[in-house]
Amino acid sequence: MEASFDFWTHLPAVIPELLLTVLAVVVLLLDLYGGKENRRNIAFVSAIGLAAIAVTPLIWGPSEQQVFWGGMVRYDLIAQIFKVMIIIGASITCLMAADDSEVGHKGEFYLIVIVATLGASLIAAAADLIMVFVGLETLSIPLYILAAFRRDDERSSESGMKYFLFGAFSSGVMLYGFSLLYGFTGETNIYTLSQAFPAAVADNPLPLIGALLMLLVGFGFKVSMVPFHFWTPDVYEGAPTPVTAYVSVASKAASFALLVRVLLAVFPVTLVIGQENLQTLWVNLVSVLAIVTMTIGNVLALRQTNIKRLLAYSSIAQAGYVLVGVAAMQSQSDYSVASVAFYLLMYTFTNLGAFAGVLIFSETTGSENIKDMGGLSRRNPWLALGMTIAILSLAGIPPAAGFFGKFYLFTAAVNANMVLLAIIAVLNAIVALYYYLIVIKVMYVDRSQYDSQSIALSRSTLWVIGLTSIAVLLLGTFGAQPFFDWAAQGAQALLAL
Amino acid sequence: MALQEFAPIGAMLLFAIIVASIVLVISRIFGPHHPTFRKTAPYESGMKPIGPGTRRIPVKFYLTAVLFIIFDVEVIFFFPWAVASRELSLLGLGVIGVFTFILLVGFIYEWKKGGMEWE
Amino acid sequence: MEVSIASYIMLSAVLFILGAMGVLLRRNAILVFMSVELMLNAANLALVAFARHWGQTDGHLFVFFVITVAAAEVAVGLALIVAIFRTKKSINIDDLHELQG
Repeated sequence: MEASFDFWTHLPAVIPELLLTVLAVVVLLLDLYGGKENRRNIAFVSAIGLAAIAVTPLIWGPSEQQVFWGGMVRYDLIAQIFKVMIIIGASITCLMAADDSEVGHKGEFYLIVIVATLGASLIAAAADLIMVFVGLETLSIPLYILAAFRRDDERSSESGMKYFLFGAFSSGVMLYGFSLLYGFTGETNIYTLSQAFPAAVADNPLPLIGALLMLLVGFGFKVSMVPFHFWTPDVYEGAPTPVTAYVSVASKAASFALLVRVLLAVFPVTLVIGQENLQTLWVNLVSVLAIVTMTIGNVLALRQTNIKRLLAYSSIAQAGYVLVGVAAMQSQSDYSVASVAFYLLMYTFTNLGAFAGVLIFSETTGSENIKDMGGLSRRNPWLALGMTIAILSLAGIPPAAGFFGKFYLFTAAVNANMVLLAIIAVLNAIVALYYYLIVIKVMYVDRSQYDSQSIALSRSTLWVIGLTSIAVLLLGTFGAQPFFDWAAQGAQALLAL
Repeated sequence: MALQEFAPIGAMLLFAIIVASIVLVISRIFGPHHPTFRKTAPYESGMKPIGPGTRRIPVKFYLTAVLFIIFDVEVIFFFPWAVASRELSLLGLGVIGVFTFILLVGFIYEWKKGGMEWE
Repeated sequence: MEVSIASYIMLSAVLFILGAMGVLLRRNAILVFMSVELMLNAANLALVAFARHWGQTDGHLFVFFVITVAAAEVAVGLALIVAIFRTKKSINIDDLHELQG
């Protein structure tokens, strides 16, 4: 830190994070001193607070794009886009949790969600290996607690334990990768690392490949990429439903933001060691992993009977689609980065809607089986409609946003001359139609033992379903192009280096 | 390689091992040796031993240990600040103040939730 | 006297592999957990060794953060193990089979 360090020019770059910290402290004190009868209001304080913070990156930031805080964070448009996405996801999660009978009235729940969001927000802008590690752990450790939040439920504590063991192992491997990168170069800033590579490793690309693989273990775990996906179904099923929703959107979006930034910055196209272009290497690797991830996710989803488990495998498959966009970054076009950002944005709303539906359903009936959802359209038509919109979006059927999401991703792959990858992705999307449409069919056509039991929507869940459905429809129609252009603008900022 | 600098340590180690084993072996060979059930049993004030020697530790110890670890380790951030506190001037003081405040909020939370009650 | 950077890195690599093997082969949750800590500390050793090699403090700084993060992880991990033990009366990770499919 030089003597000329000006606090006030650095402050705006981390406004959302600072406000999140303040909100966390406020929620903690409310939980302690607010009294028992006000516990439920903590949900609304958190949701509204988070929604307000989500706007701040848009209206208040540094005037120029550069690294701040001694190179720890980088302020740019793509980071702001991801921050908005993550914090809105957290806000909707809090709103959704308000009516959950098990976690909703506990103040700690919201506190831990806010802290996890703080970590997610930090890694969306992280520009230094230290920040990446601290941010990832600030995101992960609260998530382990959240997954095991229902202490007396065997399934919940088991899912927390599995999540924790996988997570701790993969972050250990990733940290060792970081220490190798630091060792080769003496740098921890991801933007200066790559310049020091050629001098450090001469003509031998093997050490760098080793470090790259170690990094991919850590990031692959966070985005539930095959072969690091084993925790996903168990955690999604065992964790309380709002937590599952949060893990599937905010945590995933932040981790993809980090993956994109680190791959582009640390292993750029200009980096050639010996005969090996490292970018070609990771592009090939990510392409193969994308194919494996979406295929395994979709095939295993076909035989699921539990709706949360189905959505877990679906989310593995969706991670595979996003990896197609990541692989397409080899073309250095802003299109591919923008398609990844757009997909994650629409996926945030889509999955939150789907999980909100699952939450209401399982709260009233106590069941998470798909066949028990029979006749949902008669028990509550609005809930069934909201679920249908979310599932159509997951399947990629217009007018839901998932169609444009997949369209942009696969076009990015074609633009990058990866036609085969695009074709496999499209075939996968067709396979996925089967299990998504079955859920819709069950809701509208089938009957079940609960058929006569009507389901009531509380005000907060109505808000969640309504907001997410409108957002999904908007992003699938008029909203698609403007948001994509916005993301493309952000992508240019990321690629400008 | 400066391995010979370790030579005194190595010699010391070797010497310790040899002396200790000589003592053990000699007493083993020349000492009287008549084991009975009572002699080999663990000593519990002359009573017959009850139950296994290793007991479950009450879970409260874990709680206390965990809470201790967190606060104990967070304190390491004070050391770099303390070393450079003059150069960091008022800004550094403010930042460490915020850090302390957040730790303090955690401490209040622990206290209020009964984390430090033994019963 | 000077110990070369290579020795430190060899030691840290050995520790890291021991930790990784422990995670993959051990069945007791506490032991798995200790192995994870061994991995983190192997990385710490590499970081400080590299920091001295490059003659700067970034690596030391990194280690400070890793230590505190590891402490938080320990707290959460032990709490999870206690929670598991209360319901299952076992901390063998092979007994975690409530969720499967």
